[in-house]
Amino acid sequence: MTAPIYLDHAASTPVRQEVLDAMAPFFDMRFGNASSTHRWGRESRAALDDARDRIAACLGAHPDEVCLTSGGTEGDNLAILGAWRALRGAGRIAVATSVIEHKAVLAAMHHCAAEGASERMIPVDATGIVSLSHAREMIAPDTALASVMWVSNEIGTIQPIQALAEHAKSVGALFHTDAVQAFGKVEVDARKTPFDYLCISGHKFGAPKGSGAMFIRRGTPLEPLFFGGSQDRGRRPGTENVAFAVGLATACELTLSAHVREHARLTALRDRLQAAIVAAIPDAVVHGRDAQRAAHILNISIPGTDSESLLIALDLQGIACSGGSACQSGSVMPSHVISALGVPSTIAAGAIRMSVGSLTTDAAIDRVAELFPKLALRARGHAAA
Amino acid sequence: MSGGVDSSVAAALLVRDGYDVVGVTMKLFDDGNELPDRPCCSLDSTSDARRVCERLGVPHYVLNMVDHFSRDVITDFVAEYARGRTPIPCVRCNTFTKFSDLVAKADGIDAPLVATGHYARVMDGALHRGADDNKDQTYFLWGINRSVLPRLLLPVGNMTKVETRAIARELGFARVADKPESQEICFVPDGDYVKILRRELPADAPALSRGAIVTLTGEVIGEHDGFAQFTIGQRRGLPGGSAEPLFVVALRPDTRDVVVGPREALLGFGVVATEINWLVADAPHVGSEVQVRVRHRAPLVGARVTRLAGSEIELALDAPISAIAPGQSLVLYNGTRVLGGGFIESSRSATITRA
Repeated sequence: MTAPIYLDHAASTPVRQEVLDAMAPFFDMRFGNASSTHRWGRESRAALDDARDRIAACLGAHPDEVCLTSGGTEGDNLAILGAWRALRGAGRIAVATSVIEHKAVLAAMHHCAAEGASERMIPVDATGIVSLSHAREMIAPDTALASVMWVSNEIGTIQPIQALAEHAKSVGALFHTDAVQAFGKVEVDARKTPFDYLCISGHKFGAPKGSGAMFIRRGTPLEPLFFGGSQDRGRRPGTENVAFAVGLATACELTLSAHVREHARLTALRDRLQAAIVAAIPDAVVHGRDAQRAAHILNISIPGTDSESLLIALDLQGIACSGGSACQSGSVMPSHVISALGVPSTIAAGAIRMSVGSLTTDAAIDRVAELFPKLALRARGHAAA
Repeated sequence: MSGGVDSSVAAALLVRDGYDVVGVTMKLFDDGNELPDRPCCSLDSTSDARRVCERLGVPHYVLNMVDHFSRDVITDFVAEYARGRTPIPCVRCNTFTKFSDLVAKADGIDAPLVATGHYARVMDGALHRGADDNKDQTYFLWGINRSVLPRLLLPVGNMTKVETRAIARELGFARVADKPESQEICFVPDGDYVKILRRELPADAPALSRGAIVTLTGEVIGEHDGFAQFTIGQRRGLPGGSAEPLFVVALRPDTRDVVVGPREALLGFGVVATEINWLVADAPHVGSEVQVRVRHRAPLVGARVTRLAGSEIELALDAPISAIAPGQSLVLYNGTRVLGGGFIESSRSATITRA
């Protein structure tokens, strides 16, 4: 088989060499506990402080506004449950989120509802953009917290975070955004956009799995999820992972420094792939094509196919994509995001996400542009009744 | 691949023989988290199948077939009990899910062959009983489309279960080598199928409502909590105190009666089956002498075809068989060769003289 092609950068990315190099000393002689007062501790503390400064700079934040986490799921849970639990006694009874959120947000919101919150689900329009008119009704003076993702992890649509955050602020509700797919793809700047919490995940842009950060604006309440030491101002007790903090800071800087060039390159690759598939299969449905999309995500349904079979056929040819969201057993379930666009269930069941990134070359796109339509048309010919 | 020993060894034998193997596990129902570790279909079993494939160096996928399985197997399972019959879901799973839907999935990836861990053999395009008479699974395979047979590989069909387990141990599949047999129906937790019926049927369904236990002469001797809890030949749940043991001999959904009688009343001298499917070109005709089986692992009994009409068949049995249950399979054999089968509609309690 020819070299396999990885088209799943929205799922994870390889750790960059510079990031590995930057982390290496902290697995070696600079192993100290950053809370220790001796030399080893001080050296780790210095590296941690420096990493936090650099991450903050990349987010337009003050260093004390950066809380280091294990990634997107932890950040989303900490922000949502932390905000709800801090505010629920103060007369704000509702939480609001969009129907296309990642499960980390949806499940945390459902947990708020189990704890007594009135849960409001903001719909999206057919292009995959959150309805601002609904959002303005649902995020109201009785609302403790609203959470809307910046970039959809499944279809790549860019949500109107500026308008949503400003609206939330105007009614006194806290606003969280899951920026896991947005960081490095759209401009994320806490000085320009008045979100109160924001989460990023390192492994989406060249840092290790298990690294991440939550922005929390100064003065914003937060009930911690963990209890223990006083690390991270008590927001996130536990011995700090200095190596991952350094790795995350390095990856953040590298990502932002290449943002303009990568944006143009990924947009061109994605658009070329999209055009080739649509040319070969004219009834292919490109989800979110009429909305502004982040450069790296292409989500396509081939009518008459199910994504499960097509994903297997692609994988057996060495092409890695994803579809829907994997359940615990590993089987593919129809995506709640595609279903929320109002497309028929037969179209939703065929959605395939391809996401380009650091590993994607022109030659890879040429090969996928040639193979994908062949495999899709064959899958269509053999679809089970 | 269920994660059990048979399909694991089947995959290993194919890899050994040089086939380009793709392992798949069918997710057939939502087990949530409430199921304990079961011989197949649980999360643990799926990961056992994955681990076997990892060891073999072949890809493994989980196919979500929940909707189709629910439509083709579970819905029928519930409807059959509601009609006072005893369904056999494994047959419908093989007919519709494994050897139809799964074969279509194989087509989608250009896989010309489909293999399973069944104890059965395909020889010259015909289905034969497995070499291990005690494990033979052809009782569940009669309903598959004949055109699929040339595409089937059944690598453990030539072996005994003991040999299969020995190979699993040789291969180092420690976790699967000594797993218990899966005896129960995979989607029925703890064998309590009534729980499934309560979930799927309305609360006032006749099958789950109180009714009378009556003798063959019409005498009411007790009450029951729903005829779906009874099957032909059952003794459990019947009132005691009679001179000779009583058995369920019939279920009457229209009156909700459970009819009981002595052991002799269970004897069937003939059997009628419907939805007949033939796996051979030379299907039997009226007058053909065959062997039949009306329950898994029962000895073969000689029989003569007395009537064939459309998809219905009637046979006279050379020796009576006890407790022939409508809804179960009737499978016809010629030696080891499986001729075909159908779903039992009724039994004849007296010798049939028509021919």
